[in-house]
Amino acid sequence: MKNTFRGAVVLAAVAALTLAGCSDPGSGSGGDSASAAWPAQDTDLSGTTLTVWAAQNSNKVPDSVVAGFEKLTGAEVEVVTIPDPYEQSIQTKVATGDKPDLAFWQPTASMLTALNASTNLQSLDDAPWLDSYKPELRDITGILDDTRYAALITTPAVEGVYYNKEVFEKAGITELPTNWDEFIAVARDLKTQGTTPFFDFGGGTPWATQWWVQVQLADAAKDGLWDEVNANEKAFTDAPIQDAINEYNDLIAEGLFNADLKTATFEEQGPALLSGEAAMAVQVNSFFGQLQSLADTAELDQKIGFFPISPSGNVGTFIPDQSNALVAFKTGDDKREAAARQLLSYWLGDGYADFVDAQATVSLQTGVDSSAEVPEALLAVSDSLADSVGSMQALAVANPDLYLNLGDMIQGTMTPDQVGEATQKQFAELAKAIGAPGF
Amino acid sequence: MTTTLGLSRGAARAQGIKEYATTRRAKQDHPLWFLIPALVVLVVFFFIPTLFNFVYAFTDWSSFKTQINFVGWDNFVSLFSSGELINSLRVTLVYAVLVAVFQNVFGLALALLLERDTTLNRAIRVAFFIPVVMSALAVGYIFQAMLKPEGAVNGIIGFLLGQNVEIAWLGSTTWTIVVVALIHAWKWMGLSMLIYLAGLKTINADILEASRLDGAGWWATFIHIRFPLLAPAVTFNVATALLGSMNGFDIVQATTAGGPGGTTELLNIFIFRTFGQGLFAQATTMSLVLFLMVAILAFPVIRALRKREDVL
Repeated sequence: MKNTFRGAVVLAAVAALTLAGCSDPGSGSGGDSASAAWPAQDTDLSGTTLTVWAAQNSNKVPDSVVAGFEKLTGAEVEVVTIPDPYEQSIQTKVATGDKPDLAFWQPTASMLTALNASTNLQSLDDAPWLDSYKPELRDITGILDDTRYAALITTPAVEGVYYNKEVFEKAGITELPTNWDEFIAVARDLKTQGTTPFFDFGGGTPWATQWWVQVQLADAAKDGLWDEVNANEKAFTDAPIQDAINEYNDLIAEGLFNADLKTATFEEQGPALLSGEAAMAVQVNSFFGQLQSLADTAELDQKIGFFPISPSGNVGTFIPDQSNALVAFKTGDDKREAAARQLLSYWLGDGYADFVDAQATVSLQTGVDSSAEVPEALLAVSDSLADSVGSMQALAVANPDLYLNLGDMIQGTMTPDQVGEATQKQFAELAKAIGAPGF
Repeated sequence: MTTTLGLSRGAARAQGIKEYATTRRAKQDHPLWFLIPALVVLVVFFFIPTLFNFVYAFTDWSSFKTQINFVGWDNFVSLFSSGELINSLRVTLVYAVLVAVFQNVFGLALALLLERDTTLNRAIRVAFFIPVVMSALAVGYIFQAMLKPEGAVNGIIGFLLGQNVEIAWLGSTTWTIVVVALIHAWKWMGLSMLIYLAGLKTINADILEASRLDGAGWWATFIHIRFPLLAPAVTFNVATALLGSMNGFDIVQATTAGGPGGTTELLNIFIFRTFGQGLFAQATTMSLVLFLMVAILAFPVIRALRKREDVL
């Protein structure tokens, strides 16, 4: 009896200890880094190892910076590829207390909220590189509740139409479409000539499906559509969002997409456009990254062009994605947190010119010229940025799985109406969890 | 504390084995506190997480906020009012039943084929057991690559037929769940085989000889004698396959990630997706629902299967 009692005491003690130790594991650690110092770019970091999380389409981006930084400081930088769906994997890891020093991250308010930025991320408010940005790009994104959490490293992506110039030429299309109706007319024209007008993918993770809906909302977004959605005054089931979903479904039904739409994957999209198998793809910059891995600049200039599209004109829809920016985590280790800031300082400081060259990309800084090798299409993307409007990810308080629901619609397991309903339901759920007024 | 030597109660009674109580002597030999090390592990890694599973389901824990507040039944109400949870539950059940059927049919067939202890059979048994110890994710990714429209399976079929084959094995909204269930069953059939083999070995040779003398053929012997005597193995295999695959995640995540069109979205994949959205409390609520469903299903299934053992 006595032994049983002793056992019960031990058990209770263990249980109490464990219960006491259990709190939100993603919320602990990390001091206040508002007043954090910014070490000089060449401070010696021998023996320090930094971890950078990157996605499958951004894991090569840091190469030149990492090489330069390791040589300059003696630090070791490890780039870890996190499998897709990238954002979801990271949120799950961070929630369980697993954090890198730096990670590629979509610098929009909704995605910074999703990481619980004020708790998990370092503030980059006094970063030394801020004044080097071109003035119009300095505060375009990366800021949540007046605190800067993300460092923009490349031009934010723009949703628009990538097209094969040779296919257009062969089909006798000389003028680029200047609004949605002309855009669809061109597609129908191509179809009658036996070319597949659009390539999209419903297999794997069908993340590009949402661009088709979002570009159709550009005009409405300019008039404050997402503010109304955020305030629960308008839903995904209302016009114009439901209309855009219906239109996408109608275009698929009309046969304007690749025949293997249901099973095609992202990896097949680039080759299809490059080979002229399909004429157009509505995509974002990371898709162009795929094209760059398949062809050199000369070939890309010859074959691939870009134009933004919106219902009434050529307004691009602006969406910073995870390959455009980095966030630095509060890891609780002061030395590594400082080293992470130092890496960012180098990236957007002495290392930036090399980075822009190595990536053959457009420079964000006044003092650094864009790479001479930037393909024309990417310049067109960068040019369209000035008068573009924010996407759902940039302007809505939450980011529901619209793309997945659209993928289900492609597979035929959801009707367009159900897509609107399911997306709205999830949006409301997220908005409520975030604490948005009106939900 | 009573015991029936591992037999079902009915079987024990039929064989005249009395349930017996532990003696005072046994109590001294094995004091209860010997259990503590094992209990601590069980409590820390099983009971407490399960307890938290219940607690967090009634909160608004999310990645967006630092505080966690109680919200009552909110999460349950919103979950059951949406069709998604019901759909995932249905998919999970269908998957579990398919896996249980396939895994046991394959396992039993293999056990019967490889029953004799020849060297060749031993080698083949090892070969079929290898998938059991392989990483489930690796298995999933390998099958995903093989079943692509331009993958190896279509290549082989195309070679045999002499024409180009481009079947999207994982592209059908109706049949993909059967394909992933087959993959799951393929991975685990070696384990079922092993257990059935062990079961077959325990069958008394005298009984088989008697049936042979009575003129029973292979099939009659199997249906009327061997299969009924395999009842404990069937109980174990069916229960573990059915209840284990209700918790399935890795193989399906690697092959289809719930697609196409959500037709293979097991509850665990839905939970993973919800968790990834930052809605931790909702995800916890779902895993609680899954826990309850497995528990509700486990008792009648195991009871029914144990009942079959009463013939022993």
